[in-house]
Amino acid sequence: MDILGLIVLGAVMGLIFGTALEKSRVLEPGILVGQFQFRTHIMLKMFLTATATGLVVLAMLNGVGWVDLGPKAMAVGPVLIGGLILGAGIAIAGACPGTALAQAGAGYRDALFVIAGGILGALTYGYFKADIDGLLDLGDHGRITLADLLPMPFWALALGLAALLVLAIAALERWRPWRSELGTDGTGLWGGPDAERGDRRQARTPSGTPIHGAE
Amino acid sequence: MPAFTDRVWSPYLAGILIGLLQIPAFLLVDTALGASSSFVTAAGYLASTIDGGIAQIDYFARYMTSQKYFWQSALVLGIAAGAFLSARASGSLRPSVSPAWRRMTGIRSLPARAVMGFAGGFLMLLGARIAGGCTSGHGISGMAQLAVGSFLAVAAMFAGGILVASLFRRV
Repeated sequence: MDILGLIVLGAVMGLIFGTALEKSRVLEPGILVGQFQFRTHIMLKMFLTATATGLVVLAMLNGVGWVDLGPKAMAVGPVLIGGLILGAGIAIAGACPGTALAQAGAGYRDALFVIAGGILGALTYGYFKADIDGLLDLGDHGRITLADLLPMPFWALALGLAALLVLAIAALERWRPWRSELGTDGTGLWGGPDAERGDRRQARTPSGTPIHGAE
Repeated sequence: MPAFTDRVWSPYLAGILIGLLQIPAFLLVDTALGASSSFVTAAGYLASTIDGGIAQIDYFARYMTSQKYFWQSALVLGIAAGAFLSARASGSLRPSVSPAWRRMTGIRSLPARAVMGFAGGFLMLLGARIAGGCTSGHGISGMAQLAVGSFLAVAAMFAGGILVASLFRRV
């Protein structure tokens, strides 16, 4: 596919991705940080569903030989330390790299500063890559997957994990139905004057009334 | 039937849609869904206006020339456009700062939140580039490929996030 085609394809896929992040309210700082506080589990439900769907998709596409996998390497130090820094950053930013863009689109102005900080973070790593990688070098085990470690083909393991995830998601939904986890007007916050003041739509949606979409 | 004018969709519908995006990503672009690489592309092009030599640094050169990253840059810009259209269609465009920040940290003004957001964004991308991926690349895509490093990365991400979020007020 030529470069123009790739850009159009990326934009169309992004429109779907952004719509999903906005409608599911996963872009809300109250929902994202609320997941880390175990107040609301909308983010985990979406994340595990996307992973399970990806597992089924890749089990089929790779199983019939149409696509090759491109797993990332297991470089112990960078993955652990980088993951910790990334997680801390997500809590402070109230966003992931992708959701920061969705927040900016939905109207949150502070997301523009998250994006600017992110660009500086990426620039900093690029300039100091050799030093940082050297500091964190605890051994690199290469691009290993569970299919390399266990005596089963990728498609079988992927379908197995997808089945486990579906069970976990079902248990999560039984424990806390998703409609009960949205908070006031889908912000991941419950009641209170602050929730009202910050929300332009309060005039039309009385405070404390949980919203029900997708009917 | 979910409609584009709905204010909320279930997280399961959203997750399935995002998971299905792996089909065109793998079949047509020969890559997995991801978001954080595009920040390197943006950083490279922005910095090239003051550092003409940046395109000679291998790391930046890769993200500034490979077509895959132009696709990903279009993807993240599409995410912003999609969220805008989706919020507008349901009449739920957001205020400039989420009320969550006042409740969780006491921060009420945009300038104060901008400083916090900038610092968070910096750590987020520094960490993502060190780890080699973010919640999309390591999370949704890495785990879907059963990559051992991605399972570790996701565990570390949640550990870091839970640690910092425990310092905020529970609202």
